[in-house]
Amino acid sequence: MKQSQAVDTTVDLGGISLRNPVLTASGTFGYGTEFAPFLDLRRIGGFVAKSLTLEPRVGNPPPRIAEAPSGMLNAISLENVGVEAFISEKLPAIPEGVTVIASAFETDIDRYAEVCKRLTGVPRIAGLEINASCPHVKSGGIEFGQDPAVLGQLVRTARQATSLPLLVKLSPNVTHIGEMARVCEGEGASGISLINAVQALEVDPETRRPLLANGLGGLSGPAIRPIALRMVWQASQAVSIPICGIGGIGSAADAVKFLLCGATAVQVGTSNYLQPSIAADVADGLVAYAERHGIPRIRDLVGALEFPGR
Amino acid sequence: MAEAIWEVSAAGAVPIRAEAEVVRNVSEGPSSWRLVLRVPSWPGFRPGQFAMLSAGAQQAARRTDPLLPRPMAVYRAETGVDGAEVEILYKIAGRGTALLAEALPGQRVAIVGPLGRAFPPPRSGERVIIVAGGTGIASVYELAARLAGAHPVEILFGARTASDLMALEDFEALKIPLQVATEDGSAGVRGLVTDLLESALEASAPGSGRRIYVCGPTAMMRRCADIAAENEVPCIAALENAMACGFGVCLGCAAPLREGGYALVCRDGPAFDAASIDWERLP
Repeated sequence: MKQSQAVDTTVDLGGISLRNPVLTASGTFGYGTEFAPFLDLRRIGGFVAKSLTLEPRVGNPPPRIAEAPSGMLNAISLENVGVEAFISEKLPAIPEGVTVIASAFETDIDRYAEVCKRLTGVPRIAGLEINASCPHVKSGGIEFGQDPAVLGQLVRTARQATSLPLLVKLSPNVTHIGEMARVCEGEGASGISLINAVQALEVDPETRRPLLANGLGGLSGPAIRPIALRMVWQASQAVSIPICGIGGIGSAADAVKFLLCGATAVQVGTSNYLQPSIAADVADGLVAYAERHGIPRIRDLVGALEFPGR
Repeated sequence: MAEAIWEVSAAGAVPIRAEAEVVRNVSEGPSSWRLVLRVPSWPGFRPGQFAMLSAGAQQAARRTDPLLPRPMAVYRAETGVDGAEVEILYKIAGRGTALLAEALPGQRVAIVGPLGRAFPPPRSGERVIIVAGGTGIASVYELAARLAGAHPVEILFGARTASDLMALEDFEALKIPLQVATEDGSAGVRGLVTDLLESALEASAPGSGRRIYVCGPTAMMRRCADIAAENEVPCIAALENAMACGFGVCLGCAAPLREGGYALVCRDGPAFDAASIDWERLP
């Protein structure tokens, strides 16, 4: 981030101190080192590493991705190296001074707790994000984040399993996001991250088959940004814990929109693929925006949306 | 002429990211295009490596559709005093390449590259057969250029029809034997390039070893892999899966392996031992 005496860019995301509010989203930033040729990771607030399971996990058969209007569908199935390899191999390769948030994912609550426990007390991990958008085997494949009772149980268990700041990444595939946000707050989450990819389907009319081998996938990219803004705003009306806004962010202007809607920090996702240094550009652009508007602290923008009739 | 033998390792040159300037972008036939980009720096590349290209991303109206950059083989590159020129051959195959074809000289195209694992060089004395199908020819020019004069090498080039044959004159200038097959017989022999491969293997003695390099449509590469296996000749295939990032993050370009699991075409390839790929499960 550019040197600026005028603008204070620091934020506190539920106990995670960030030098600026621009993070990168889990699943779009690998384990960080992949981006070393393209940007200095110390220019961004930090990154959320790829979601980890207890054991290494192999992904879905191809095709795993497809293009959609201003977006992409993916069905990778959370392929990852597993929590042990992350700790022993991936984490030591990340440069000092980079804020790392680990992401946990499992298919049942006890295993979730195991992953959270394993990541706790590991030097370099500043916080934990649990991915509540994956299918819960015992609920017949419904996402953890789609059932308030299951979500509550997950957050409670994770909260007991770790002393780290705990972010819950919510599924957008729900009717009342505010209710889900309240469940997280009630069970002791330090903050919430939203939105994850929107469940979607794209079809090849010639073959009459889905474009993805998995059938359904998750839609991400600029196409989902207005949905994400709406959900961040609704969640911010429902809870007082900090929110990390995610969904199609590709510029500082996009990031400002999320801050205005109530996000304390943001995560850049799919845009990392198109332009691998984009997150640093977003961070720099936030300073320029604050300077242009005479705003002394970036965090003054949080929730400053002037919504009609309020 | 570039150096004949190149190093192959996972840790190659550090790729660049640049808003490249379009120097030239010209049609060479019904749907074949040649794009020359100027970049401020270029670390060099090895045969088979690729770059991710995004056309129109830097216009005043930020483009988000089509969203993803397109992987393109680096055809060749020349480093000069003020940067380098990177050459790409492509066909208009969809929305991304249609947009690329509209890029005018002076406009910008975002580039990330060179990326991926190169073709391993042949062993000393090995007789090399390069097999290309359609736009696959763009992946093998640098290979042919570096091997010309250093190895016995021939090129077999197949396409549906004569107008699909790209950059023939470049290959003729290398002065290495070139055979052409078209499905409609409008150029070269009528038939498939894989038929030429079978004939070439019959005509050449195993001698001090032979090696096949192939790039083209999946069905054609699969057939080449089968022919190579039947003849016990090593075969290297350059895969061309769709991908979102090009550097091992999106995990979208997974290629199924015969031993189980997947390799990433962007990171572990695009050049693979053809025998390691589970062609049955590759879409």
